[in-house]
Order: sequence, then C-alpha cells, then structure tokens
Amino acid sequence: MIIDDDTFTCNELAKLLENHHYEAVILKDFKNALTEIAAVSPDLILLDINLPYLNGKALLQHLRKESNIPVMMVTSSNTEIDEALSISYGADDYITKPYHPHILLLRIGAVLKRVKMHYRLNETELTYRALKFDVQRGILKKGEREIELTKNEMIIFSYLLSHQNRIVTREELMTALWDNAEYVNENALTVNISRLRNKLKEIGYEEVIDTRKGLGYILL
Amino acid sequence: MKLGKYLQDNFYQFLVFGICYVIQLLIFFAFKVDQAVLLASSFLYLVCLCLILLIPYFRKKRFYTDLLANTFALDKSYLVLETLTKPAFYEGELLYQAFYEINKSMNENVRQIEEHLQDFKEYIEMWIHEVKIPLSTLVLISNNHQEQFDKKTRLQLKRLEDYVDQVLYYARSENAEKDYYIKEVDLAKVIKNVGLKNMDDLLAHQIDYLVENVHYQVFTDSKWLEFILGQIVNNSIKYKRNIPHSYLQISVKEDQATTTLIIEDNGIGIKAADLKQVFDKSFTGENGRNTNQSTGMGLYIAKKMCEKLGHKIEIASVYHAYTKVSITFAKNNYYDVLK
Repeated sequence: MIIDDDTFTCNELAKLLENHHYEAVILKDFKNALTEIAAVSPDLILLDINLPYLNGKALLQHLRKESNIPVMMVTSSNTEIDEALSISYGADDYITKPYHPHILLLRIGAVLKRVKMHYRLNETELTYRALKFDVQRGILKKGEREIELTKNEMIIFSYLLSHQNRIVTREELMTALWDNAEYVNENALTVNISRLRNKLKEIGYEEVIDTRKGLGYILL
Repeated sequence: MKLGKYLQDNFYQFLVFGICYVIQLLIFFAFKVDQAVLLASSFLYLVCLCLILLIPYFRKKRFYTDLLANTFALDKSYLVLETLTKPAFYEGELLYQAFYEINKSMNENVRQIEEHLQDFKEYIEMWIHEVKIPLSTLVLISNNHQEQFDKKTRLQLKRLEDYVDQVLYYARSENAEKDYYIKEVDLAKVIKNVGLKNMDDLLAHQIDYLVENVHYQVFTDSKWLEFILGQIVNNSIKYKRNIPHSYLQISVKEDQATTTLIIEDNGIGIKAADLKQVFDKSFTGENGRNTNQSTGMGLYIAKKMCEKLGHKIEIASVYHAYTKVSITFAKNNYYDVLK
C-alpha cells in the first residue's frame, strides 16, 4: 500500500511495483487513513512523511498502537534525526527520495522476507524444480549430489529464483550483488553467470538460464 | 592613553598659561615686585598647570586605556562595550552613550540578517525537498518506461540529483546551528550505500570499486558521511584516466586513538601546485579547467562538514598516478567506557 500525497509519484510507484509482480494499492482518503489501512490490510506500507491532515510519523505512531504491518518510510527528508525518529516509532526501514528503483525493490523484498521469517523461522531452504537450495550454506542439492556455490553465484541464483520466469536485467543483478557488498564489474558478472550455468549443467539442468539479448536473463 | 600625546594634544593650555605667565612676569617687573613673591607665584603657576593638565588625564586614562586594550584583546571587538564600566566624566559619558546606540543598531541589523539567512536556508531546504519529489518521480518514470528512456537519461538524472544534494549540504554546512546527529556508524554500510548510489556511474566508466575489510565502527552522522564520500567518489569518476584498469580502492587503517578511512584512485591526480588549494571554495585548478565540469564546491563542502563533525580530511596526490583522500575519525573512549 502506497501512502503519498503526490498522485503522480503514487501512480508511477504503483506501476513499478506491478511490473515486479506486487499488488499495489494507493491510499485515497487521508482523513481516515487508519480505517482505510485496516480495510485493505496490506502486507507492507510505503509511507511518506509529508502528508495532509496527519504527518507520516504521527500516522505511524497511531498505526503501531493497533497493528504490526511492516512500514517503510519513503521520504525526501534525509536527516539522521528523521530516520532515527521514524525507526523509534516502529518503521521497519527508511529510504530517501530520490531512490534507485532497484534498491527500493530490494529493500521491500528484504522487509517482506524478514516478516515471513518471523512466521516460519526455519525457512532457509528454497526449491527449484527437483533441486533443493540451501541458502545459508550456499549449496544446491539434487538427491545425494551437492554442489557448492560461491557467494556471488548464490546471490545471482537466489535473485533469479525469486523472480523465476521473468526477465531479470543485468542492472538488477548488479544491484543485488552490490547490495550484498560484492562490488563486481560487468566482466565479473558475465563470468559468474557462465560459472553458475556450468554448475547447473553439471547436475543436469542445461540451459535453464536463458539470455535475452539486450534485456537480461531469465530462469526457466 | 599616552601622556606625551595627551600633552601634545593640550598644547593650547601650555600656550595660554605661558602667555599669562609672561604677562604676569612683565607686570611684576613693572611694579618691581620682590623676587620671593615672583618665585612663589611661578611655583603656584607650575602647580596649577600640572593639576589642570594631569587631573583630567588621570580621570580619562583608565576609560580610554581599557577601551583600547579590550578592543584589541577581544576576538569580537564589537562586544567591547560590555567590558567597560560607565565613565564618570562628561566626554566619556557622551562616547559611552554613542557606543551604546551604535551597538544597539548593529545588533538589530545583525539579527535581521540572521533572520533573513535563516528564512533563506529554510526556503532552500524546503525547495530541495519539493524538487526531489518530481525528481524521484522522473527516476521512476525513466525506469518504468525503459523503451523510451535509456541509461543516459538515468545518468543525467543522477547528476541532477547530485547537484541538488550539493546545495542542500552546502546550506547545512554553512549554517551555524547544529544540523547533524552523531552516533555509532558502521563504515561498511556507508560505503555500501555510496557504492549503490554511484553503481551505474562506476560501471559506465568502467571503474572497479574495490573495498577491503571496512567493518569498523566510527562516531559520525551517516548521512553527512555518505555525502562526503559521494563527493570523493564523484571526483574519482570525473577525473579518471584513460587506462585499462581504473579503480577506486577503499580501505581502513586503525591505531589506538584514530580510525582512518582511505579512498584511493588511479585517476589523473592533482598537480602539486594545485594540491594545497583543493579544499578552497570555488577552486577548480588545472583539472577543472580541462574537464569543464568542476564547480569547485564538492571538496570545499566536504571539508567544512568534516570540520563540523570533528573529522580530519586530507588529500595526497601524484599527478598522472593517484589521488588519495583520507578521513580520520577520533575514537571516543568515553563511549567505550559506557559499553
């Protein structure tokens, strides 16, 4: 759910989220924000600070009295004090405008993941077809066979896996890598992807990562 | 207040006395007055002269000496009036009154200018926040419609963003009031944010971002530090050399009292003659003239912010070899004790 007083921003943000397979709702009635939030009951709220009637920080305080919906502050105010205050009022993350869209998406993903983890503590194993992917140890398992991935390969594979059947641009992969403090360059990314392909081929999944020229990669 | 000058200034009194004395002498001679009377009268004249000259001197001396000494001793000499006691002689009172009025009017003036400045700063901050809204929408649009806007658009938008940020932090660093918030910050996180922010630029210019072990905690304002680092990274991008392996290396050194963040690139470097002035306002130097993109503000603002935060920023460079910027943070032992 997007709470921002600038409709143009709201619409574009909603479009971005929908392009990345999220469902986006825009808050309409600022006067009765709390009731509208309760009615929609979203998985995550993107909250601006400068709002009509009740500013974002105050709204967050009221909201926290009755619910634990994850809240991400999205604002053009970039002082340390605002950030500290927002976090102390119960915001889950804080991102300043203008933000890089990929970074916003990564942060949203991270917040949602953290919340999910909270419910299902031990979900560290993902599956891809017949493969089991142990995220913590960075190991791909097919029956008894195990293949170890390097940290970079792991980051790329998890990103592709969580966006399966969708084209992922090189830029998105880059952002995911850099966000994990792996500051690779263009060549290194190409090398890592071909290594990942080889490892997948070793356990019988040839050509599952397809290159879409000029667009990016897709995990089939 | 010097006696010699004072006496020189009161020369006319000598003159009047001298003329009176001569006239008196002539009168005495004319009436053939006794020598003893002449001597006594001369003595009286001398005493009177001394008293008339010296009493006002000593009355005024204290006030003027204090006034002068305090004016030079104070770093804000306009505050001198506060250090003086009200003089007990008429001229001094007039002067004191005039000073008082001048002071009042100046204070009024300064207050007005401060108010204007504050208004202006608030307006700039507000304006920046306003301008960031359409800017961020533009970033979103350019991302949502990649078929119409290519990477170049986004890089230009990023430049726009950088300039807007520069104004914001300039306004903040110039301002006297405290606008930052110091807490314990993980350098690795700051470096990551700066990296992500400049990723597109670094990749487009084929500059490798090499980060060593930087998991150190320092006391700073993370937003300010991100801006400072951003300026340094921007410079490295702007002044890269056309060589196969451009890089930007970030490392941390630590000793007992300080933690030092070092950012080194292998760009065009800075000529020795320019090196001393790189932190000066509006200084662009040889490199600036050659690339035509410098405002000469980035490092100036960075230095100013470092001063406010209590960090030391230094730069070393060899032309056509490297540029190395280091930021030194003091370790706060007080906080260690608390932990």
